[in-house]
Amino acid sequence: MLQQVVWSAELEVERIVDAYGTMLFSICLVILCNEKDAEDVVQDTFITYLTKSPTFNDSEHEKAWLITIATNRCKNMRRYNIIRKHMDINDLQLYSRNDKHHDLLDHLMRLPTKHKVVLLLHYVEGYKVDEIAKILTITTSAVKKRLQRGRELLRERYRKENEYGF
Amino acid sequence: MDFEKIKDAVTSIEMPKAMDERMKENIGNRKTVKVNHKKWIPAASVFAILLAIMMGIPYFNKNGELQVANFTITAYALSDDENQVNTTITSEKAAIELATEDRLGIVSIGGDGDRFIFTDVMLKIAGEQIDSITYTLSEGKFIEDVTFTSTKPPSSEWLRSERIYYVFSEPGSGVYEGIRHIGNTYTVSYNEQENYKYTLAIPHDGNNVIPDDVIINVNVTYSDGTSEQQDILIMQEAHSILLKLK
Repeated sequence: MLQQVVWSAELEVERIVDAYGTMLFSICLVILCNEKDAEDVVQDTFITYLTKSPTFNDSEHEKAWLITIATNRCKNMRRYNIIRKHMDINDLQLYSRNDKHHDLLDHLMRLPTKHKVVLLLHYVEGYKVDEIAKILTITTSAVKKRLQRGRELLRERYRKENEYGF
Repeated sequence: MDFEKIKDAVTSIEMPKAMDERMKENIGNRKTVKVNHKKWIPAASVFAILLAIMMGIPYFNKNGELQVANFTITAYALSDDENQVNTTITSEKAAIELATEDRLGIVSIGGDGDRFIFTDVMLKIAGEQIDSITYTLSEGKFIEDVTFTSTKPPSSEWLRSERIYYVFSEPGSGVYEGIRHIGNTYTVSYNEQENYKYTLAIPHDGNNVIPDDVIINVNVTYSDGTSEQQDILIMQEAHSILLKLK
């Protein structure tokens, strides 16, 4: 009986890491710009999941819960890391093998946390404004403003890059 | 600029294989991570004494009259373990560290989308000839942590009828932990205060900042029918919630 429980727990670890590990790691890496911090947050999020074992309606609910926990932890970590670390663009190739994405990832990582989080949830995870509002516990108008400002900032940075020929 | 490319860029990130394996092993060894069953412990006694002393200080009531309350207020904090209660005390106010990120995260995905900071603090009144106490929160609500057992997941109808909005469970345990909404006011008999362990859920603006003027009104009714009241102002500094008599 005990063996069955252990086996079942191991399967659950495999399942959640395989299903959500890369998704959470990519979000956390973009938010935190640091591999070790991103790994810590993702691992901590999974441990919370297994410890709390919340009840979910479906897999989307489960995914949203994990994203909520992970982004909250990222925000806390950013809050306490007074000296902001930023990943060198050359290190991006360790995680993203396709060079053509590195510029965009670099620009994205340099955005303020609150803007990049909404951009990630909207453009990467496909959440609608009202769903993001629930996940981040902010108003829908705040989500819209952050999306708009995030887009403006990205545009602006691309424009400057082209102007000065970086 | 094509913002849809953000998806391609971010999804091109892969978790390194070594990290994947390390993570599975670490999570698998999570038995070293203890389950935090919250329990009630009195917040540092200096905290309690501070509030009690402050209640004895003469103050001006709403009519501008000098008045001295005949009851004391003691605050208790709810903590994950004895070492995590942080009560930074100054000469004027008591601070309670916010340590509820898990609960925040869980609640945020819940049904009504409310945005609350959970303070994990409860109040207790002491005095002579007190019959009952009514607490009224100007913004937010009182909540109660509840635990119940069930052989199958509780139905949403039952949870609604019990005003339990959020539920967690250890797999296969049949034990469920949840959060019951009490409302913005409740009255408790003086001798039954120990049975009502309600804590505070205070709304925030989406960035964990609470309004400036959240007040808990404490109205004490004495056996002879007279009553006294006192307002407690809830404030915020950095990541702490502060209580101060108004």
